[in-house]
Amino acid sequence: MAQRAVWLISREPGTPFCGTVRFSRRYPTVEKRAKVFNGASYVPIPEDGPFLKALLFELRLLDDDEDFIESRDSCSHINKTSVYGLLIGGGELWPVVAFLKNNMIYACVPLVEQTLSPHPPLISISGISQGFELLFGVQDFLSLSQKNDTELNTKLNQLPDLLLQACPFGTLLDANLQNSLDSINFASVTHSQKQPAWKVGTYKGKPQVSISITEKVKSMQYDKQDIADTWQVVGTVTCKCDLEGIMPNVTISLSLPTNGSPLQDILVHPCVTSLDSAILTSSSIDAMDDSAFSGPYKFPLTPPLESFNLCYYTSQVPVPPILGFYQMKEEEIQVKITVNLKLHESVKNNFEFCEAHIPFYNRGPITHVEYKVSFGQLEVFREKSSLVWIIGQKFPKSMEINLSGTVTFGAKSHEKQSFDEICIGGTAYLKLHFRILDYTLTGCYADQHSVQVFASGKPKISTHRKLISSDYYIWNSKAPAPVTYGSLLL
Amino acid sequence: MGPLSRETWAQRLGAFRASPSAFMAGPEGEDLGRDLLSELRSEKLSEQTKISLLALSLEYPAQLWPDATAAEAAATSLLDTLVLLPPRPSALRRPLLLAATTALVAGDALGPASEASRRLLPLLLGLASGRDLGRGFGPASEQRPLQATACECLRELESCKPGLLGGCLGLLRGLLGQEGPVQPLSLLLALALRNTLVIQARARARAGLQGLLMAGDTPSGGEPWNWALAEEGDARLQPQAPSWPAAEEECGLAVLEPTPEEARELRAAVAQLLDASYLLTPVAQAQLLWLLGWALRGLRGQTPVLFKPQLVRLLGTAQLTLLHAVLALKAAFGEALFTAQDEALLLRRLTVAAQHPALPLPAHLFHLHCLLSFPENWPLGPTGEEAAPLLLGPRLCRGLLPSLLHDPMALLARLHLLCLLCVEDEEKEEKGQDGSPRHYLEELLAGLRQRAALDGGPRASATLCFQASYLVVQCLATQPTVLTPLTHGLARLYRARPVLAPHFVDLLDRVGPELGEPLRVALRQEVVSRPGRDEALRWHLQILAEVADGKAQSATLGFLGAAAAHCTDWGLQQALLRVCRALLRAGVGGGLADLLQALARQWEDPDGRDHARLYYILLAHLAGPKLGVALGPSPAAPALASSLVAENQGFAAVLMVQEAPAPIRLSVGPHRAAGPGPVLQLHVEVLEPAYSLELRFRVEGQVYAPLGAVHVPCLCPGRPCRPLLLPLQPRRPAPTRLDVRALYTTPTGLTCHAHLPPLPVNFADLFLPFPQAPEGDKLGFFEELWDSCLPKGAESRLWCPLGPQGLEALVSRHLEPFVVVAQPPTSYHVAIRLPPDSRLLLRLEAAQEDGVPVALRTDDWAVLPLAGDYLRGLSAAV
Repeated sequence: MAQRAVWLISREPGTPFCGTVRFSRRYPTVEKRAKVFNGASYVPIPEDGPFLKALLFELRLLDDDEDFIESRDSCSHINKTSVYGLLIGGGELWPVVAFLKNNMIYACVPLVEQTLSPHPPLISISGISQGFELLFGVQDFLSLSQKNDTELNTKLNQLPDLLLQACPFGTLLDANLQNSLDSINFASVTHSQKQPAWKVGTYKGKPQVSISITEKVKSMQYDKQDIADTWQVVGTVTCKCDLEGIMPNVTISLSLPTNGSPLQDILVHPCVTSLDSAILTSSSIDAMDDSAFSGPYKFPLTPPLESFNLCYYTSQVPVPPILGFYQMKEEEIQVKITVNLKLHESVKNNFEFCEAHIPFYNRGPITHVEYKVSFGQLEVFREKSSLVWIIGQKFPKSMEINLSGTVTFGAKSHEKQSFDEICIGGTAYLKLHFRILDYTLTGCYADQHSVQVFASGKPKISTHRKLISSDYYIWNSKAPAPVTYGSLLL
Repeated sequence: MGPLSRETWAQRLGAFRASPSAFMAGPEGEDLGRDLLSELRSEKLSEQTKISLLALSLEYPAQLWPDATAAEAAATSLLDTLVLLPPRPSALRRPLLLAATTALVAGDALGPASEASRRLLPLLLGLASGRDLGRGFGPASEQRPLQATACECLRELESCKPGLLGGCLGLLRGLLGQEGPVQPLSLLLALALRNTLVIQARARARAGLQGLLMAGDTPSGGEPWNWALAEEGDARLQPQAPSWPAAEEECGLAVLEPTPEEARELRAAVAQLLDASYLLTPVAQAQLLWLLGWALRGLRGQTPVLFKPQLVRLLGTAQLTLLHAVLALKAAFGEALFTAQDEALLLRRLTVAAQHPALPLPAHLFHLHCLLSFPENWPLGPTGEEAAPLLLGPRLCRGLLPSLLHDPMALLARLHLLCLLCVEDEEKEEKGQDGSPRHYLEELLAGLRQRAALDGGPRASATLCFQASYLVVQCLATQPTVLTPLTHGLARLYRARPVLAPHFVDLLDRVGPELGEPLRVALRQEVVSRPGRDEALRWHLQILAEVADGKAQSATLGFLGAAAAHCTDWGLQQALLRVCRALLRAGVGGGLADLLQALARQWEDPDGRDHARLYYILLAHLAGPKLGVALGPSPAAPALASSLVAENQGFAAVLMVQEAPAPIRLSVGPHRAAGPGPVLQLHVEVLEPAYSLELRFRVEGQVYAPLGAVHVPCLCPGRPCRPLLLPLQPRRPAPTRLDVRALYTTPTGLTCHAHLPPLPVNFADLFLPFPQAPEGDKLGFFEELWDSCLPKGAESRLWCPLGPQGLEALVSRHLEPFVVVAQPPTSYHVAIRLPPDSRLLLRLEAAQEDGVPVALRTDDWAVLPLAGDYLRGLSAAV
């Protein structure tokens, strides 16, 4: 379950190596064991240079995509997980856990406690999930309130010390690196026996509990007879419990109004001490019926110091908040578009913002637009070949708005326009971006009375809710559109 | 070297990290390890710089201190530095402990004989126990972190020397029950417990588990660490993972049967660890579960129900490690811990986790992998192969099916699942109506092909399309309903984008005949029906070189004939020739010869022309099998060499005669005195099979007429061959030697030439009898011959020594066929004909004890010395 080495590589397309190793850490005692366990199949951890080259090649991040290269492009070279084998110095370094996120490549090599030929199944290697957890932890740490390169560099400079704390010998002690950072600073606090390892100190001050529910709604709408529209709500409940005492007990309940949509696929934070089986089994896999558990969803827990995601859930609301259609027809260098959007009456008509983005891919810049909107304003981004319909804070009383128009394009210039593999010909979409504060689509809420705190002092409890759109697509109904399996099951 | 400044060190460390091997090979490499140790005590450097030095030593001890002696010295120095630290707070104590531990382990210095080990272990154990080690170990505020660090160091030592802390189980339990830091102690205890149980099970030793677990915080009898147990564990480091069922046999874990008291104590220890597990970080909880799962696995009578209270809590979380640890428990204990309902619940949670929008893609993919490798209670299929668990029906999978919007890896992973569903679907004999998995699969593949067909699209989308096709063929090779549309779709894709030819060739090389055969036909049709030029032609020819076989000859040749005119550059010509080559190998004859001749005339490039001519000559002169060998991969060339080099070497090897050490042994058999002329009887033996053997002889000194070659179609080792008869035509009756050469073909088709040792032809090998004398007057016949020799010839008398066997035996052995008149045992008249036209007459009479006087006459005086030598040598020849 240990790691042999960890790397962070920033991706830099266009530079000679297409990337730079920003951080690396090797674990020689683990390497010692790897040599014994792997036996003849042992391949040593390479130096940073060769590793960088081999990894970028395997991840197709080098700028040499032109030719067919068998070791990378062969049809039998199939990767179905983020675990790779790298050809280095005549041997295969395996398993290399690696993924790209925000132009940073996170990579590590877990110890495999047996021979590597043939490769044992990943599920039997404890170090794989530990490696993922380590990389997710580093990623969380780097992305937490990071704004610019200077901050990134500061965080990268902190990494050696943090890993010395969180992973001194290659065996991960805590994936929450912020915790490790705090523990360096908290070193003088006296600990008692039952101090959890994930809580480095105790809170001193006014007791308060803050709960915020963020729901993201995604949708795929086709406006077609044979393809069903799909939509889904994904909720995240974030908590911050500032309570005195080492192990304050808290129970947070989420409730639904009578017509609310049941929460499903609930994943909880590890600090939740027990879970009702109804919560555990309510799943989007099952067909919905009236008997579905609809709360209240109780989560007894011992909170950590920092802000944490108490739970994630999904939900299947009966209707999408905004239903629409998008029709686009090509006529030589022009396209004719018609858009209709309708806000469902049950949805709170009070947006922080609401916009419809209409991109045109694989075409030249927009040279001319003629349009008519029943509501809001249209902005034209000529060079980006896209339109943005700014709908604003409220839909009109009719709850329905329209846009129609004709867009003319100039000649395509290959350098500037990025290629899109999906939107070919008439295949096109518009994407809705909106946010509604103090509202959830499922109706899910946590009120002051739903929070029980077994600790000294009555805490101040604050709750927040919001609904955000995410991947909310309306596809051109006059052309083929990519579908999911669910859409075909009418 | 004097003390270095912070900047100098930063520079030096930077240079080292950039390439440790280059730095160590450079001038500064040798001193780095020593400098680092001495600088740690320098008062000029800041703590931060020293920590960065220690960090380097944590990562590269093997480079800094390459052998055990150096590592021992380094660890000693690090421990000295630690002891010498002033009693105020310092950030150096933790890294110094880690560095000393790392140096000892990485340098192979850890052991009972190592002084540094004997210092480090009590120090770590003292710190871990929270004992007051004196003011050198800093203020009280540092005790807690140091205690945790000491536990980590001990855990690493125990990991690398399993069994080392076998004597400390009781002590660790005690500490855990008191006020030690929960996580480091729990993990350390779990590891030590696991290792102890494994080693005991392996050694079938019973070292009083109960005693080990019960001993209070002062270990009984001397040192608490157990080098002996560590030696046993050292023989082979043991996996920390609960062995996955597949790996079980190789671990050879014997089943331990603890006594009831031991079992109770063990249960108490495990329960103690599990009860406190909630206080551990999620990753540490996962480690604990893996360790305890392994520890209890081999124990008879230990039900794993202890884990049960934890499971519900663990199943609810979004943590990858925790779900993975539960799966490990599932694999370890199966039905004993998970009822059928539990199994179903676990599968559902896994299915949810494999698609939950709140989790990142790498987690989805890993969960999907776990789903297809799910450790079922009652697996049906073969182990080790990815398969959809029985309980995972199409309904559960619905959200896990691929769509074109997915990332390539997710698409492939989900596509695999879809294929597995299609297999089941087929078994249920459902028709491929809309909405069925198979119909969806077809749509999806079509979408991928459409994307790959886009002009100027990235290579990755083409690769994805072919990977998906390959995956489908792997899973659904037996389903024509899937393969037929796939074949047509791929052929259409080729039509749209011939530039993908390398992908097609790669696919054809890797799939079985189920797709390979029809796809070859479809692609061939696609190519020959659509002549192209330039770039497209290049790809057409590449495809054709792969798919051309004996079928559809005329269409193929027609295409090539038309294409030849467009092959104006060397590359295209070579591509076309590769197709010809493929056709040659496939045994295409007539039309191809015409084409090759045309190419040899038509092309201007000499290389192309020469190749065409060469192929034509090969086709015209070599029989099928030989042609196959000539064009096949050369045995002489390594597989990686370029095809041109390989081709040339192949030709060179096949068309040239190879000089080889002879695998053939030739010997002269017994003399046959019969027939019109002397005949040599040859025996041939071979060490390896030889075909079309031709033996060529050359007579030294030209005393005989030139000899014809002898042919043998086939010779095999151990299979006797009839003697070969070699008629001699002497020009003079003289012995000689024959120079022998062998020409033959090896089983690999190479023609070899070998020089054999010369064959002696003796004087006696030329002897022939006279035609039968008239029956009544043998003596008269002899006398007539005798008289006729003179005066032209010569006469001599000599003494022929006799061996112990006497005259009679000598005659019967050597001269029997030539005796005309015999009066045994005293007198023999011998007449020998020597081709071409000489005679030798002998009178052997009045033999004495040790010899016989021989009177001899010949009509050829040149024979006289040979006859003399022959007779004198007879007795020795016996």
